[in-house]
Amino acid sequence: MVTTTTAAASSSDAQEPSSETFMLENEDHTLANALRFFLNKNPHVEFCGYSSPHPADDVVNVRIQTTGEISAAEALRQACRSCQEVCAHVNTCFKDAVARKHASMSQ
Amino acid sequence: MAPANKPSTRRTPQVRLRNYDSDDYCEFELLGTDVSVANALRRIILSHVPTIAIELVEIERNSTVLNDEFIAHRLGLIPIVSTDVGILTSPYEANDDKQCDELEYELNVRCTGDETMDVTSEDLRPHNSWPNALPVGHSQRPQGSAAQGNAADERPIVIVKMRRGQELKLKAMARKGTGKDHAKWSPVATARFQYRPDIQLDQDALSRLSFQEKESFLNSIPRGKMIFRLNPHTSEIEVNDAEAYLFDRQIFERMEEFSLPPDAITIRPLPDYFIFKVEGTGVLPCATIVSMAIDILREKLAVLHTEVQNQENFAPMLSDAAA
Repeated sequence: MVTTTTAAASSSDAQEPSSETFMLENEDHTLANALRFFLNKNPHVEFCGYSSPHPADDVVNVRIQTTGEISAAEALRQACRSCQEVCAHVNTCFKDAVARKHASMSQ
Repeated sequence: MAPANKPSTRRTPQVRLRNYDSDDYCEFELLGTDVSVANALRRIILSHVPTIAIELVEIERNSTVLNDEFIAHRLGLIPIVSTDVGILTSPYEANDDKQCDELEYELNVRCTGDETMDVTSEDLRPHNSWPNALPVGHSQRPQGSAAQGNAADERPIVIVKMRRGQELKLKAMARKGTGKDHAKWSPVATARFQYRPDIQLDQDALSRLSFQEKESFLNSIPRGKMIFRLNPHTSEIEVNDAEAYLFDRQIFERMEEFSLPPDAITIRPLPDYFIFKVEGTGVLPCATIVSMAIDILREKLAVLHTEVQNQENFAPMLSDAAA
């Protein structure tokens, strides 16, 4: 296991930035499924799906096709940012809740 | 986020802490987000949050009934308080500048009495500069450290039992790792989430049954008396604890048997309401595990974000080379 993620854009057609397949190495359903959800939320994304070619391979392929307003890579970056925002928000909420609980217990 | 791409169905996730009386168990509700996010969180808690566990054992003398491999395996499974894990370096993170941290333990026990003797995690003597990294429940544990379990009911973990004359001498090396490599590094015993069921009762349809029939109907459903209760005054079935329902669908088969219409009881999972239950092993407080898991997910996304940016910067160069 390597802790870093490496994304290799292996687009079948380099002239078409609106549809690309991204190979996420050292990642699995954990990240890919969450990303797919955020990508499908994006109104500029026409299609998004992912697959793991083999359970023993440490790689997932994320296919993104956009309507053309933004590139597939841009859609992926936006999904990353949205999901990061959600994570940050959930973490703040969770830490607040724990702090409140500790405060109420010490009273 | 670019405002032009704000989805119309924007939700704000919420967290409600339900039960966090001890550091070993945590129950919380996650609302307003997708199942994929909840599942990512669950999977990361299980297999990406780093902890410390024994990975290498050098056995010098072993005349116990258990063979060397057996003992090495048992040592690996001992939970070790991992509050210092953030400043440790795992073999995967090690590079030229940073060496992999190894935590050394020694065990040297010989049975001299006639009684059967327990060799426990208490006999593991730490030989390193990480004073917090002791087996969970160890008597030497510094006060105010991660595992704040009740020391009275915490007993050391038995590694092997010995009789007179038997001996065990070994050196054990612990390292930082994650549950992805081996489950012994998983910080939790279980981490699970469930949907919250929404149960609707049609009292008109249910009133076809007599009080006795209702009683036997509830008795025929798995956990029926937990999910529902029978009001003795109105003789109506009421929802007692919706979460006791395990989405097993048995209830609908029983409804047919009692010739109730299919809409007498409708149950649907609430789409964005998840109940998380995290049971720690004592190596880290559950709140820390959850927070670390969220940070790990964020880190993964941040790395991917920069990586995609880098790829884009290189892409024109690649197409130039192809031309």
